[in-house]
Amino acid sequence: MAEADSGFNYDPTKNYDDQICAQQRDIEKQITDEQSLVSNILSFDVLKTEYQDDQVFQNKIQDIKSRYKHMRKTRGDGNCFFRAFGFAYLEHLLKDDSDFPRFKEVASKSKDELVSLGFPQFTIEDFHDTFMEVIDKVGNKISYEEFFQLYTDQGISDYFVVYLRLIVSGHLQKEEDFFMNFVEGGRTVKEFCNQEVEPMHKESDHIHITALTAALGVTIRVEYMDRGDSDKCNQHDFPDGSKPDIFLLYRPGHYDILYP
Amino acid sequence: MSTPARRRLMRDFKRLQEDPPAGVSGAPTDNNIMVWNAVIFGPHDTPFEDGTFKLTIEFTEEYPNKPPTVRFVSKMFHPNVYADGSICLDILQNRWSPTYDVSAILTSIQSLLDEPNPNSPANNIAAQMYQENVREYEKKVKVVVEESWIYIGDLQVS
Repeated sequence: MAEADSGFNYDPTKNYDDQICAQQRDIEKQITDEQSLVSNILSFDVLKTEYQDDQVFQNKIQDIKSRYKHMRKTRGDGNCFFRAFGFAYLEHLLKDDSDFPRFKEVASKSKDELVSLGFPQFTIEDFHDTFMEVIDKVGNKISYEEFFQLYTDQGISDYFVVYLRLIVSGHLQKEEDFFMNFVEGGRTVKEFCNQEVEPMHKESDHIHITALTAALGVTIRVEYMDRGDSDKCNQHDFPDGSKPDIFLLYRPGHYDILYP
Repeated sequence: MSTPARRRLMRDFKRLQEDPPAGVSGAPTDNNIMVWNAVIFGPHDTPFEDGTFKLTIEFTEEYPNKPPTVRFVSKMFHPNVYADGSICLDILQNRWSPTYDVSAILTSIQSLLDEPNPNSPANNIAAQMYQENVREYEKKVKVVVEESWIYIGDLQVS
């Protein structure tokens, strides 16, 4: 009866995967149409409008506004942490290249490390090539406009994100003894990487950030804007006690970029 | 026009030719690099032995960030293959990793043939038979093995 009422009769011999995928594609398309991969510089007024009737968030926006100049939004496609991280750090290197030689060396060595951990050389190379091309262009001091165009090219940007995901996966597996304590759901670190790290559009958590900052030697401050009672955002530095290179804003399920 | 997906598919094809894995083959169709035909040979010492199963692989511009759609064109009797030939395999859905290439996809499907996952059945009859009546299951598989030889391009879905 219930099935008849809803107008849907489940047929166990039918393949519903395609329909589910099609629905998912529609949602993704809507997000793609409405949000750019990385936005231009924005004032915090956009956040104020988003949370008009919400006093908790209004207070926290005020707190952020007192400590940061402006922000930049990233597309809410599940890759936002990686996308924001890549953009913010490369932009940081464009302005201040003192860390560039160290970073470049870590980045170029990372391929052999991944291969030695058992990642397939053939496909790793494909992503690593693009990853290094982008980094080299930043090293060659391309203009901000060129960089913005490069990083918001979907193909290049996605390849960059994939490679960052692979670096996280590699680091988690290399430091398995440590990270196994933080993996939920009785999964092995390898299973966690297969399910939550390597596939595109999987959202990032504390564990991803810890691994990425450790693997690349880059420091991040995350400002947490959530429903908590306080008038101020909590902040967390990765790794603890470091001086941050880049600043990210976290709202439940999403990361954007902050500029002090 | 060269896009990341197309460039990568050319690389996948080159690798498949230079370093072909045992028991699988695949190539782009004549006029479209985004659609491939492939063949998986049934693994030795399994009920699928001697089968030559044909498949199509359809890629989108989001490959390799998103998995392609893979379907058996040859008739298949398997717990994880739907009546329309599409395949229920985690790496082709929620566990896809951009590190997989065509070679990895085809060898994974080849392994799936003899290592079905009865917990996510796409064909309930096959799944039940596989668990409860192996002899009958193997007989049914034998039929699709023989049918795979006489495949003459009939795309009609039964």
